[in-house]
Amino acid sequence: MTLSTVLSVMAAGAVGGCLGSLLGLGGGVFLVPFLNVVLGLDFKVAAAVSLMTVIATSSAVSAGTAGRQLINLRLGMLLEIASTIGGLTLGVLVEHMSEPLLYKMFAIVTAAISVLMLTRLERRNVLSADVDPGPLGGRFHDDESGREVVYRVRRLPAALFASLVAGGISGALGIGGGILKVPILNAWCGVPMRAAAATSALMIGVTAVSSVPIQYARGYIMPPVAAAAVLGVLLGSRAGFWFGGRARAKWLKLLMAMVLGSVSVLYFVKGLR
Amino acid sequence: MNDQGISRLEVHLGRLLLGGVLTAATCLAIGLAIWLLGASRGAANVLLTAGLMVLMATPILRVVVSLVEYVRMRDWFFVTTTFVVLIVLFVTMGVAVMNARG
Repeated sequence: MTLSTVLSVMAAGAVGGCLGSLLGLGGGVFLVPFLNVVLGLDFKVAAAVSLMTVIATSSAVSAGTAGRQLINLRLGMLLEIASTIGGLTLGVLVEHMSEPLLYKMFAIVTAAISVLMLTRLERRNVLSADVDPGPLGGRFHDDESGREVVYRVRRLPAALFASLVAGGISGALGIGGGILKVPILNAWCGVPMRAAAATSALMIGVTAVSSVPIQYARGYIMPPVAAAAVLGVLLGSRAGFWFGGRARAKWLKLLMAMVLGSVSVLYFVKGLR
Repeated sequence: MNDQGISRLEVHLGRLLLGGVLTAATCLAIGLAIWLLGASRGAANVLLTAGLMVLMATPILRVVVSLVEYVRMRDWFFVTTTFVVLIVLFVTMGVAVMNARG
């Protein structure tokens, strides 16, 4: 491995980290294809390295958001039961799964979410400030509208199921899994986009830790590549966090849908080869 | 529900995550620099491994601190919730140790 390889991994990590922190995706959506297709690393190695960056993104983004009441700690911990079980299960099973199968699964999931996002662009999920948010809901000050935002969590089983599947995707494909949770928390469970993204960003770290030590023990982590990817993602997610406070929720959703659509096409093509 | 406690916990966890990720990044940056210079393979490997270990340990520590705080708040539902997450993570560690030996 050369200096140029390490620098290109770092640059790819920076781009992934920036978009990841904007979208609550964790950045792996870009990093896994890059490591796998461009650098020619084995898919499972790419996924394991990507999971390391997911942990870094999670810690860095959550450290930045903490104190603004955007992270729903209670809801997050409850959903982490499901997401870690999913991560552990698929983290064990992934060794027996073929690469085209993984590509196709991923393509279908991203296509579905992309459509879901596009049909829900105008949803706000905001109650007036005097409503009791209930045990799992929350309240925070929204910089965009300058108002106190209160929300209740609806359809908890859907959120738990989404977290289980997202955890599995994290364990198998090396992406954060926020890719699935954020749209479902937002569109179906009544959690505002920013709170859903912040809670998901916290969750993806623990979720990744439910499978990544297994991949580490299997020797899938190449330390210099992982280090370059992690450092790149950290720099990128800093930039993304800075943009995040300024971007509008609607454009965030539109951007997210477009990103997911492109990733889906890429994986359909790869899966059919 | 103890909203003040939850806010304080959020701030504590934020500091913990920041400390963990900065420590990991420092180890990884120095380790990668030494590795690229080819100065000392041993030192590079130690620092890279330490960085990745700290990175993986940080979210686990976050769950442990949450557990302690929920016990202090006597929020038994979330004590249980957090404990279950910890159990899943311990199973992961067990599987990882088995894989490393096998």
